[in-house]
Amino acid sequence: MKKEERNAAITKWVLIGITILFLGIMLLLPLIVVLVQAFRGGIAAYMSAVADEYTIRALLLTLEATLCAVILNTIFGLFASFAVTKFDFKWKKILTTLIDVPVTVSPIIAGLIFILLFGRRSILYEWLKAIHIKVVFAVPGIILATIFVTFPFISRELIPIMEAQGKDEEEAAALMGANGWTIFRRITFPHIKWALLYGIVLCTARAMGEFGAVSVLSGHLRGRTNTLPLHIEILFNEFQYIPAFAVSSILVVLAIFILVVRSVLESRGKKEYES
Amino acid sequence: MYVELKDINKSYGDFKASKSINFGVEKGKLIGLLGPSGSGKTTILRMIAGLETPDFGEIIIDGQVVNEIPASQRGIGFVFQNYALFRHMTIYENVAFGLRVKKEKKKYIDERVRELLKLVGLEGLEKRYPSQLSGGQRQRVAFARALAPNPHLLLLDEPFAAIDAKVRLELRSWLKEMIEKLGITSIFVTHDQDEAIEVADEIIITNQGRIEQMGTPLEIYQDPQTPFVASFFGQPSFLKDYQSFHSFEAIDNYTEAIVRPEFVNVTKKNEVQKYKSSASEGVVTEVSFRGDSVEVQVSVNGEKLSAKRSLELQPVTVGEKVDVFVYRMLVTEGKRVHLLENQSLHEDSVII
Repeated sequence: MKKEERNAAITKWVLIGITILFLGIMLLLPLIVVLVQAFRGGIAAYMSAVADEYTIRALLLTLEATLCAVILNTIFGLFASFAVTKFDFKWKKILTTLIDVPVTVSPIIAGLIFILLFGRRSILYEWLKAIHIKVVFAVPGIILATIFVTFPFISRELIPIMEAQGKDEEEAAALMGANGWTIFRRITFPHIKWALLYGIVLCTARAMGEFGAVSVLSGHLRGRTNTLPLHIEILFNEFQYIPAFAVSSILVVLAIFILVVRSVLESRGKKEYES
Repeated sequence: MYVELKDINKSYGDFKASKSINFGVEKGKLIGLLGPSGSGKTTILRMIAGLETPDFGEIIIDGQVVNEIPASQRGIGFVFQNYALFRHMTIYENVAFGLRVKKEKKKYIDERVRELLKLVGLEGLEKRYPSQLSGGQRQRVAFARALAPNPHLLLLDEPFAAIDAKVRLELRSWLKEMIEKLGITSIFVTHDQDEAIEVADEIIITNQGRIEQMGTPLEIYQDPQTPFVASFFGQPSFLKDYQSFHSFEAIDNYTEAIVRPEFVNVTKKNEVQKYKSSASEGVVTEVSFRGDSVEVQVSVNGEKLSAKRSLELQPVTVGEKVDVFVYRMLVTEGKRVHLLENQSLHEDSVII
C-alpha cells in the first residue's frame, strides 16, 4: 500500500470513529437511558404511567397542536415559496430572511411575545375577552406557539427546489391556456411533492417536541394545557422518574417513526428526481 | 399586417430593453429576430407572447390590441430555448397537455397527438420521458407541443441554441419546411446570422433595444441601412483609409469602410487578374485552412483585409506578395451606409 493510500485510510477510519463515538455518547446513550429507566419498574408500572388519564390528555393535546401547526404551516409554506420563487417584488430578500426568524429566535422569546400580545397587559386582551377567546394559558396559545416555532420548516424545503426549477415549465403551461390552479396541480406540484412531504415530516417532528415557547404560554394546567413535553417536565419535577421516562418513551417512539418516514421519503424523492 | 408592434417600450429598472419598437409581420411569414445577446430580441418575443408587459405602446395580433389579454388567452404557440418540456410527463402527455387544458374530447386528443408525433417523426416514443430523448428529439417534441392547440402564431426563442452543430443544420431546414408546410405565421429569435439567413423569409435586426433594419435576407445582406447592420454579417475587415484602394468613388467625412471577405479577390502574381490595373499589391500575413476554403489575411498599405481562396487554386504562403482586388465596399458616413462598387467593373461592362 502506498503511503498516501494508507494515510487516506487512516483519516477515513478516524473520522468514522469520532462520528460514531460522538453519536453514541450524545444520542444513543440518552435514548437507551430513557428506555431502561422507563421499564425499571416493570411492564405494569410502565403501562400505568402511559395509560394515565393526564398522559393521554397531554398526548391528545400534543397531536392537536401538531396537526394545526402542520396544516397551517403547509399552506403558509406553499404560499410563501410560491411568492418568493415565482414572482419578483421589492423586499423579497427581507421576506425570505423574516421567514427564518423562528429558527434563530429563542423559543422562550417567542412565548413571551405572545404573552405580551394577548396577555392581560395587551390592548387586544379586552377585545378578545369580549368575544370569549382566551389565548394565554389556554389551548389557542399552545397552538400559536407551535405554529410560530415551526413555520419555516416547509418553505425552507421548498424554496431551493422551486428556485432551481425556474419558471419555464409554468410559462409553457400558461401559454397553452392553463389557469393558475391547473398549472399548480399538473406542473408545479409533481415537482415539489417529495420536498413538501419531507418538510411536513420535519415540521411534525419539531411541533411534537416543542417545549420552550409552549411552556411559557401553557400555564401548566394538568389535563388542560399540558402537552407531552410539559407533562414529562412536571412528572420529573415531582420525582416521578418512572412515569417521566415512560412518557418520554412515547415521544421517542414517535420520533423514530418520523425518522423512518423521513428516510423513506428522502430516497423515494431522490429516485424520482434522478429519473 | 397579422402581427404589429407600435412604439413598444420596455425597461427593467434602469435598463432599457426595448426602445420604441415598430414593425409588422405579414400572415404566413417566417420572421427571424436577429441580434447580439442583450439586444432585446427575446424581450420582444416574450412581450408578443404575453409573458412580459410593455411599459408603453401597442401589440396588435390579427387586428386586435392584445396588451390586456393574458398569455393563456392569446392562443400563441411558444417554443422555449431550453424547450421547458414537462419533465414528469411522457412525450404523449406533453403534447396532449394543451388539448387537455382546452377540454377537448379524448378521441380527438389521441388523434391529434399521434398526428403531430408523426409529423415531427417521433412515432413510437410516446411513452418516453423528456430525459430519455436527445436534444434534437426534445426540440421536435417542443415544436409538436406548441402546435397541438392549433395556434395562429408560433414564437420560437433560440430554437437551435441547445443543439450540437451537425443536428442543428438538419433541424434548421426541417423546421423551415415544417413551417412552410403548415403556413403558420412564425417569429424566431436567434443570434446566429447564418441561421437567420437560411431560415427566415424576413429578418429583423435588433441592437441595443432598437430595430436597426427589417428586410429579406438578401436585402439586409446587400443593402445594409445602418453601420451596425453593415458590420454584423460575415467577418468583415474595417478600413480607415479606403481611398488608398484604386477606383472607388470618393466620399467626404466618411467614418470607415467595411469589407467582407467575399468582396475581396486575392491572386498570386502568376495568376490571371482581369483588373490588374486597379488591384493593389499586398503581403500575405496569415493563412488558415477553413475546411471548404482557405482564409487569407493580407496587409495592403498598412490595412488588414481578410479574403477567401478556393482550395483548387495554388496555395499562397505567408510573406508572399499578391494582388488584391476589392469588388465593393460598404462605406459608413455617420449613420448612413454607402455601397461602393469598384468602378473598373463598370468600365468593363461599357467596353463590352
